[in-house]
Amino acid sequence: MIRLEGVSKVYKGDVVALRNATAEIQRGEFVFLVGPSGSGKSTFIRLLNREEVADEGRITVAGKDVGEMSSWKVPYLRRQIGYIFQDYKLLPKKTVFENVAFGLEVIGRPRHAVREQVPAILELVGLSRKADRLPDELSGGEQQRVSIARAFVNRPLILLADEPTGNLDPATSVGIMRLLDRINRSGTTVVMATHDRGIVDSMRRRVIELDRGVIKRDESQGVYE
Amino acid sequence: MLYRLWYYVRETFTSLWRNLSLTLAAILTVAISLSLVGSSMLIREGAARATAQFQEGVEFIVFMRADATSDQDAAIRTVLDTSPAISGYGYVDKEAAYAEFQQLFSDKPELVESVTAEIMPPSYRIVPANPDAGNVAEMARQFGEQPGVKEVATATDAIRQIEDFSNRVSQALLVAAVVLVGVSALLILNTVFTAIGARRQEIEVMKLVGATNWFIRIPFMLEGTIHGLIGAALAVPALFVVDQRVLAYFQESDAVPLFRGFAVPEGFVWDTSIWLLIIGGVVGMIGSAVAVTRYMDV
Repeated sequence: MIRLEGVSKVYKGDVVALRNATAEIQRGEFVFLVGPSGSGKSTFIRLLNREEVADEGRITVAGKDVGEMSSWKVPYLRRQIGYIFQDYKLLPKKTVFENVAFGLEVIGRPRHAVREQVPAILELVGLSRKADRLPDELSGGEQQRVSIARAFVNRPLILLADEPTGNLDPATSVGIMRLLDRINRSGTTVVMATHDRGIVDSMRRRVIELDRGVIKRDESQGVYE
Repeated sequence: MLYRLWYYVRETFTSLWRNLSLTLAAILTVAISLSLVGSSMLIREGAARATAQFQEGVEFIVFMRADATSDQDAAIRTVLDTSPAISGYGYVDKEAAYAEFQQLFSDKPELVESVTAEIMPPSYRIVPANPDAGNVAEMARQFGEQPGVKEVATATDAIRQIEDFSNRVSQALLVAAVVLVGVSALLILNTVFTAIGARRQEIEVMKLVGATNWFIRIPFMLEGTIHGLIGAALAVPALFVVDQRVLAYFQESDAVPLFRGFAVPEGFVWDTSIWLLIIGGVVGMIGSAVAVTRYMDV
């Protein structure tokens, strides 16, 4: 599903974000990216989404060479990749329903599809009864659920998560991880960058550890350290 | 498809409304600059028509000496009848010239009394085949050298005055208009940029979930195009005011009789209006396209 071959990315000022990284992630895997701040976790994720382009090496996502892809095809790549963030990135003036619907509308899905899929996904994330609320009326955990609903409503092959529990307390984080685990068990490949030792250690999934841009460790049922 | 169209329209008008003060500024600037463009076009056309209509074709007048012999007169007439460079002419005899003089100076009776028909020079009013000013001047020179000819007056001086006047005015308007059209484009660019800024979050999300670049761009480009079109639409009535007030003023003016022909048909005003709408739409589209590509990197 995802393959990196000798991928390097250097930012301006010779900041090495990723150095000669090679990894392969199978369909349906759940992968934690761990490592200190600045170790290259976010760059790893942004390269998969073509928010960044690698300086060297080759990245294949869902059978497509991401680096060689012409830019007009990028939106179609992104439709196969859900993306969630530490800060949720919800639109503050739209309701929960509208935020999720927005993800479908702007890729040109017809209205009847929006009407069917949005309530179904809100049911999945447990927010059916809060569909008409605005984001600032929700708790952090609920906001992250909305963001997951938006990322997953289009049933992407891959879900990328950049510190999704970074702003949440441990109890709430557990709920979010249950949700991601459930999504993963439905066949979606999940790649999650995290600092959260407790989560990594309790889930016992594959762990890729980055250190100053280098893949230091890649274990199939790893722990944080 | 209809749903998508509705999306574009909704997004565009929401954005126009949110940005109302800048939107109005952009629209008014477009309106003013296109009014000037249109006025310049009207004046050019008016001048072209005024000079073309001047005494039914560019004309020069050969004044004969009052005491010219009939042989001398016949020689001139032969040239006029046979030369291919002359497409037509009219003869104004002494009586007719006197009548015209009386009419022209009707408010100065003492001047009229001081002359008689006998001293008025008869004249030939000549329509050359080639109305080019240089050609007219050359022909006037040749006629001037004929025996019995008192003088040759060309209409080109008057025509040049009109042309000069209208050129200066329309060029000044055009320069102002071009500058203002540039200003409008910049204002539209800025307005659209502000609109983009107001929706940065939405654009970021749209990109992440895989909206195509055109899907993101179109509402903003529509917004700029609408600025241009509304501005142009406001310039159209201004154009009719210019036609009915300013050009009409010249036509009715006694001070400058040459300007009597200074009129454009209504059809021309409508054609000009269509051009203004096209220019307005294109300026708006270009302004917003630049904003979208420069500030949105999509």
